Amino acid sequence: MVNLGVSIGELKLKNPVIAASGTFGFGREMEKYYDLSNIGGISSKGLTIKPRLGNDVPRVAECDAGMLNSVGLQNPGIEYFIEHELPHMLSYGCVVIANIAGHQFEEYADMAKLLDKTDVDAIELNLSCPNVSSGCMAFGSDASMIRAVTESVKTVTNKPVWVKLTPNVTSVSEMALAAQDGGADAVSLINTLLGMVIDIETRRPVLKNNAGGYSGPGVKPVAVRMVNEVFNSVDIPVIGMGGIMNAADALEFMIAGACAVQVGTANLVIPTACNDIVISMEEWAQNHEVEEISSLTGCLRRW
Amino acid sequence: MPQQIEFRCQIVKRQQPNASFVILTFASPEIASLAMPGQFVNISADKFLRRPIGIMSVDREQGLFSVGIRIQGEGTLNLSVLQPGHYVSLLGPLGHGFKLDNYDRVITVGGGTGVFPLFFVQQYCQEHGIEGIAVCGYRSAAESILTEEFTKTACAVSFASDAGDMTIAGHAGHALAGVIADLIEKKADLSRTLIAACGPKIMMRTAAEQAAAAGISCQVSLEERMACGVGVCLVCVCKTKGSDGEIENSRCCADGPVFDAEAVVW
Ligand SMILES: Cc1cc2nc3c(=O)[nH]c(=O)nc-3n(C[C@H](O)[C@H](O)[C@H](O)COP(=O)(O)OP(=O)(O)OC[C@H]3O[C@@H](n4cnc5c(N)ncnc54)[C@H](O)[C@@H]3O)c2cc1C
Ligand SMILES: Cc1cc2nc3c(=O)[nH]c(=O)nc-3n(C[C@H](O)[C@H](O)[C@H](O)COP(=O)(O)O)c2cc1C
Ligand code: FES
Repeated sequence: MVNLGVSIGELKLKNPVIAASGTFGFGREMEKYYDLSNIGGISSKGLTIKPRLGNDVPRVAECDAGMLNSVGLQNPGIEYFIEHELPHMLSYGCVVIANIAGHQFEEYADMAKLLDKTDVDAIELNLSCPNVSSGCMAFGSDASMIRAVTESVKTVTNKPVWVKLTPNVTSVSEMALAAQDGGADAVSLINTLLGMVIDIETRRPVLKNNAGGYSGPGVKPVAVRMVNEVFNSVDIPVIGMGGIMNAADALEFMIAGACAVQVGTANLVIPTACNDIVISMEEWAQNHEVEEISSLTGCLRRW
Repeated sequence: MPQQIEFRCQIVKRQQPNASFVILTFASPEIASLAMPGQFVNISADKFLRRPIGIMSVDREQGLFSVGIRIQGEGTLNLSVLQPGHYVSLLGPLGHGFKLDNYDRVITVGGGTGVFPLFFVQQYCQEHGIEGIAVCGYRSAAESILTEEFTKTACAVSFASDAGDMTIAGHAGHALAGVIADLIEKKADLSRTLIAACGPKIMMRTAAEQAAAAGISCQVSLEERMACGVGVCLVCVCKTKGSDGEIENSRCCADGPVFDAEAVVW
């Protein structure tokens, strides 16, 4: 028998596979494909204080080994989420994480206060969305802001607070340390890499927003390296993501130092991706006589 | 409870009516029995993302469905060379199709690849005793497609071409104007008539305006770039008016692709 269970601080997950924010909606559509209690958790679409319409289309550009998106945090707002989506999400039988994004410093704590009164399992601070003009990634590339935002949220809630980091910085471990200093319970990385795809006939970017966030298998080596670097610099748990398409990819992140993983873009190509990964991960562990999947975290044998 | 799955479907037939188009027929009893006109499938095309393609017809008895594909870029080119026997991964049927059941008469207005999903509408009308009138706009007679099939299936047809070498010279809007004028002249009851449009945006907008002017209901099938096709990623949105008149970004894949023309912000 393999034990796939993992802990992220105090929070227990039945397995390390979490659906990544923005690629799973609030779960309703995916429920049609498989039983969501099979996976470790779901991170909600990025939520803001007020509802947002997001950016103009085209919002997607396919590229080699992945895609760019410029959705721009389209969401129904935190209050709608708490009233109409969260209760249903909590019925899935997996861990539920609210992913929140602010334009202004205070908005993170304002949203966390509202979430504190709910049964949500954890709050993920999106300090890394590349698709909105103010806030978010601007906060996420400034270590002192990361610390301050994290502190402000920690003072208003006892829920576990995860800080989601952007790869669009010079030193991701500096940002992770700032989150730890601010009291974060975990860090999750990576969000999308800023990119651009150009139509050579029209000489225009494919995305109406010009640039967008690159995700999918092409970003995986960058993400694995960053997860390993962060794992080596902080003492809090690391949640890894970026380009995970199958169980082997997920295991790579765990070996690099992730205690759990998030799966994003894969859901857009194969709706059952998270479920498939849980199943293959168990098979792999059985075949390799790994009894506790959590024993893999950080077992990398560096040269 | 899970209601949808990913299908690996075998191609059982491939037709290539001309250099730009192929028609692929797949074996899938599930999709053949569930699909409604206006719905689509999201097909793996040996590229990173799947490609959304409307369902062109179903054979519910034999468990087959067909799609018509215009070769546009790499993905559709990859699909176009697939031979019978080959298996393809696809998701479907996806989205909300045309709502046809409250109508006695349906006028389909199609242009470009829009004629493919509209053929399914005509097939449905024929099976359900709804009077189907097919209006199709083409670039030229040489580039026209499905004309024989529409003629066999619909109660009446009107074909237009920009090149002026078909019944009506001009675009689908010109042909539609003729069809509406005929109905008005015959004092037909238009309260239970629907215009179902699919094709270039400008064509659908014109059809919607003509419908509104004549007091006819109209539904249009919108097209946007997609990723998931199931409603989770929000890349495929189109602007619509909500019930309170407020502008919303609706998901073309899951809320559409078919919308009431009145709800669309053009
Ligand atoms: C609901 C729906 C139904 C459709 N039904 C049909 C049909 O029945 N027959 C048919 O031939 N085509 C149909 N299309 C259009 C078809 O999806 C595109 O032609 C196809 O995706 C182009 O892929 P490509 O790789 O050949 O082209 P490329 O231009 O290389 O594609 C690059 C990217 O842009 C996207 N893209 C390009 N053109 C379109 C487009 N017009 N609409 C949406 N995405 C696009 C592709 O999916 C891909 O992600 C439909 C589109 C939608 C949204
Ligand atoms: C369409 C799309 C929307 C996304 N929206 C969000 C979001 O709202 N909040 C967030 O923190 N990350 C968002 N992300 C980033 C993913 O959660 C994830 O960090 C990133 O895509 C890398 O993982 P992947 O390669 O597995 O997708 C989005 C990604 C995609 C592709
Ligand atoms: S394509 Fe993902 S929501 Fe429509």
